[in-house]
Amino acid sequence: MPDTAETTLASAAAQRPPFYRDATVVKWLVQVATLILVLFAMFFLASQAGDNLTAKGIKTGFDFLDVDPGIQLNGGIDDDPATGGRALWVGMVNTIRLSIGGIIAATILGIFVGVARLSNNWMVNKIASGFIEYMRNIPLLVHIIVFFAVLGGLNKFTADVGPINGWLHISNKGVSTPRAFISDGFYQWAVFLLIGAIAGRFVMKKRKAKQDATGAETYPLGSFFGVVAIFAIVGWFLHPIFGWVGSIFQTIADVIDVIPQSAVRVALSLIAIAAAVWWIRRFLDSRRTPAGLAKLTDDDWFRMIFAGVGALLAAVFFFIVWPGFSSWLLNSSRDLFEVAANKFGDGRDGLPLGINRPDIAQRGNFANPGPAGLNLDTGVAALFFAIVMYTAAFIAEIVRGGILAVPKGQTEAAQAIGLRRSTMLRRIILPQAFRVSLPPLGNQYLNLTKNTSLAIAVAYTDLVQVGQTILNQSGKSLEVFAIWMLFYLACSLTISAVVNFFNVRLAIVER
Amino acid sequence: MSMSQLDAETTTILAKLDADKALRPDEPSLPVGEWMGKNLFGMGQGSPWAVVRSTLLTVLFGLLALFSYRGFLNFVFSEERRWDAVRTNLRLLFTQAYPDENYTRVWVTVAIVAALAGLSLGLMKVGRGLSMKRIATWCFAWGGLIVVGILLREASALTNADGSIQLDVDKQPIREGFIDKLGERGTWWVLGLVLLVIGSVIWFTLGDLRRRTTFVPAIPFGLVTLGLFISSVWWFNWGNYTFTDDGFTFDPGNKVAGSTQMPWTLIFVVLLVAYLIGQFLLRSERAGTFRGVVNGLWLLAPFVTFWVVLRGPVIDWSHVLSTHLPMALGFIVLGGALLWFLTQPGIGEKGRIIAVALILFALFNWLAAFMGWYPMLQKARLSFLFLGLAAAIAPNFIGDAKQRLKLIYGWVGFMTIFHILVTIINTPSSVEVPTEDFAGGFMITVYVAVFTMIFSFPLGVVLALARTSRLPLFRMLSTVYIEVIRGVPLITLLFFFSVFVNLFLPEGMELSGLAAVTVAFVLFSAAYLAENVRGGLQAIRRGQYEASDALGLTTVQRTMFIVLPQGLRVSIPPLVGQVIATFKETSLLAIVGVFDFLRIARDVIPAQTEFLGVKQENLLFISAVYFIVSYSMSKYSQRLEKQLGVGER
Repeated sequence: MPDTAETTLASAAAQRPPFYRDATVVKWLVQVATLILVLFAMFFLASQAGDNLTAKGIKTGFDFLDVDPGIQLNGGIDDDPATGGRALWVGMVNTIRLSIGGIIAATILGIFVGVARLSNNWMVNKIASGFIEYMRNIPLLVHIIVFFAVLGGLNKFTADVGPINGWLHISNKGVSTPRAFISDGFYQWAVFLLIGAIAGRFVMKKRKAKQDATGAETYPLGSFFGVVAIFAIVGWFLHPIFGWVGSIFQTIADVIDVIPQSAVRVALSLIAIAAAVWWIRRFLDSRRTPAGLAKLTDDDWFRMIFAGVGALLAAVFFFIVWPGFSSWLLNSSRDLFEVAANKFGDGRDGLPLGINRPDIAQRGNFANPGPAGLNLDTGVAALFFAIVMYTAAFIAEIVRGGILAVPKGQTEAAQAIGLRRSTMLRRIILPQAFRVSLPPLGNQYLNLTKNTSLAIAVAYTDLVQVGQTILNQSGKSLEVFAIWMLFYLACSLTISAVVNFFNVRLAIVER
Repeated sequence: MSMSQLDAETTTILAKLDADKALRPDEPSLPVGEWMGKNLFGMGQGSPWAVVRSTLLTVLFGLLALFSYRGFLNFVFSEERRWDAVRTNLRLLFTQAYPDENYTRVWVTVAIVAALAGLSLGLMKVGRGLSMKRIATWCFAWGGLIVVGILLREASALTNADGSIQLDVDKQPIREGFIDKLGERGTWWVLGLVLLVIGSVIWFTLGDLRRRTTFVPAIPFGLVTLGLFISSVWWFNWGNYTFTDDGFTFDPGNKVAGSTQMPWTLIFVVLLVAYLIGQFLLRSERAGTFRGVVNGLWLLAPFVTFWVVLRGPVIDWSHVLSTHLPMALGFIVLGGALLWFLTQPGIGEKGRIIAVALILFALFNWLAAFMGWYPMLQKARLSFLFLGLAAAIAPNFIGDAKQRLKLIYGWVGFMTIFHILVTIINTPSSVEVPTEDFAGGFMITVYVAVFTMIFSFPLGVVLALARTSRLPLFRMLSTVYIEVIRGVPLITLLFFFSVFVNLFLPEGMELSGLAAVTVAFVLFSAAYLAENVRGGLQAIRRGQYEASDALGLTTVQRTMFIVLPQGLRVSIPPLVGQVIATFKETSLLAIVGVFDFLRIARDVIPAQTEFLGVKQENLLFISAVYFIVSYSMSKYSQRLEKQLGVGER
């Protein structure tokens, strides 16, 4: 009997359907055909663009990064950039600054509005929801332009335009506030802070363990900040003693200088191949059952082949496509360490931080905000406030959704064990609400970062505006677009990584 | 775990809560004192701290509200404001430089939209309507706002005999006294007091229970209110402001021009008649079919109004008769015959091979075009592709003649509309305008948003299906596309497409500026839409897939009949959110040089000699328009949510 069964099976295997009915074959045929179609389309478009650019006499290439762009930028770290690359860097710094400031401000405002939206108080509730609806239902660009028009209509800038003379001026020239700046000894002081943080963490863990063991309140977080504060105060006066840190960086830079390029190439390729091997081994392990290795599907094979081909392509990239990459990597990391060696080095005895109040620069008959203070000119102030308030409205809704998603039983349980309202919010509701809100919050941070590109509407020099200027002058469309794309993708990845990090830490530990 | 999925989840939680609120019966009214105690002064929470805190908050936020309201009113009604800039330029704002002699076309477009809206409203499944309590509360709120506004607003400035404003020594306007101010705002007093009186009458003649249980059907109520408003062009002196080539007419004390009165009245009549027809159709047994037809007309309306009505095509009939008509008939008849053949029972494998061959042939036609092997009308290439796709879904219609005819009818209808539209789109326009595009202003804002949604929807669904597919290469391609597009700001894509898209196209192909920008919007929107749809697809339980496999459904059948209907239903709320987002994003048109709503308000009107530098008024006006449109869409999405009962199973 077993013989017959086996024969049937064998004959079934022998009678495979024709190839065009074989699910595996058709599946891969369709996929590969689509891939080829997409690749062909891309190749076709690229070659068209190449032909058309040649016909117009425009050369492609990134050489414009090293050439003087001949443009003036206002409101950045460098008014008169020497190279195209430097100009784009000024734009990137502005975008990053605006994004980080915006994210912090929008989060604070958003949580505040979101909580107000849930208030029992009718007045607070209605005002919060009015704010949210107003901000959400009008395009951000319109908000920016409205803010710009409103700020432009404010009083003229003078020494006593206020509201707090000498500290805060709000005028038709924008907003001027005191500026805190990093001064000479900052980096040595930062070493103190770092040591303080390590020591504080140690103390915090100790006290936390004690609290868990005895139940006594030992203020673990408070003691952490206490230790850091002690180090910060002591370091404020003693920071020059860390001048020797610079020489460590100098040594590293010297070591990097003697590494041969080919070694870097080999190392990078080996890392790529080792990663692929590691991944394939882990993958095979995951397919291993107590009864032995499971039968691998065509999908599994595809993944493993894909990983292997990817590693080989990486190796090819380092050796053939862009051999200069390794020297670029070496040079830039050496430069980085040399800069660090300089910053951390001896002989920088000044105070770590300084602060300047806004001043006045008289130009003819006109008073202008001077360079000492931190000046948000009208355009960037409009952009910043509009983006912050717009994003805050969305964050408020996310916070509201998060709080409402906390099961009612949690509130009731907290009340039953006699927690006060504020304790309940702080210890029970908000932590759980935060867990639900975090991923969409990350999306909003991404949106905020991308929305800073609307700076072009108020002529603020962010990356897109600088890129657009360079693009108009040199016609380097593809190159500038590639830089835009890479930069914003890098921003997206960074924000996603940070959000994911917290997401994993906050996730419910399932037992 | 994906971000967008949770994002959709938050949206769903919130929308559900808001929808619940709409479903709940109105709560019994508290006596005014008790209500205020509870909602404003924190009474009844059993703690004196709550009272102090709540009272403090009320005073603080109340003052904030009053100051903002006063500031807003003083801004709007200040003597310095040039509201005539908005009034005179309404036509410019909404339709840009659309020529006077063709303006009827614009009115016809609005009338078509009104007719469809009327039909839809008439055919709508309505809820229980507005309770008397809500109407009264609404009257109290608006009446109160108006009266408080009259009291808060600063007095008007005194004028000299020549109409200029009297100034004091500090160059500030001299304002009249408080009592005089109260005396002069007649219209506002009337409006506010009438609302308050209506509210009080409803409130005090009906008891609490009657107030909450007497309902007024919402749509007729809304139509009557709209009718009253539109009729006011005949009896209220809105003022007559027109802007022509000779300069602008400025006649504040008069009624609006006849060229505004008549069209709006007619459009309202169209709306009303369509509503009544809709109500009539609703009583028929086939109301569901009519609803489907109206939805189909909505889908067709943007194309017809834009390309046929507004664009005014010049049709070369001899060419149509010699080329386009035979071709269309060929596709309709031969294609129909082929589909009839393909749906016969027992066609088996042959049908699939024919379908695949047709699709490959259609794709090959494009390759041939790029390579320059043989020419073919784009319309024919597309028709072949559609025929291939129809052949691919033909196995689902195998059965008796009735079943088979469904596909044939669908094919004939689709091909007819497709060929007529494409033929018309390929004709020159008879509307002569100074700018590159005949459309502009609010018109272009709306059309770009609508076309973006229509075209990005199928693309987004395909991307979402590919991203959740079991086939790794599809998943990879779709993921890369979605993440790259979502990673870059829209404005960079717009720049790229508006300036450089023609670099990538082969000889002889060209995209106009506006078309290129719309393509950028579509590509951008599709990536976001795909993520919303993916959230819905992932909400489908595994058992559904297993059940359809157990039934022996093919992949196409499973996708069409099991996966998509359930997945799309779940993703409707985030999709409406996407519509609102797209509508708002069209404001970026202003940056890439299209004369859209925002650009006319920001750049064009302030450059007119009569209204040099007048900007804030226009911006406030367009903000209000944007707000009204998006806000009503978001309210509608909450209603839709309630109807669909998403998440209630």
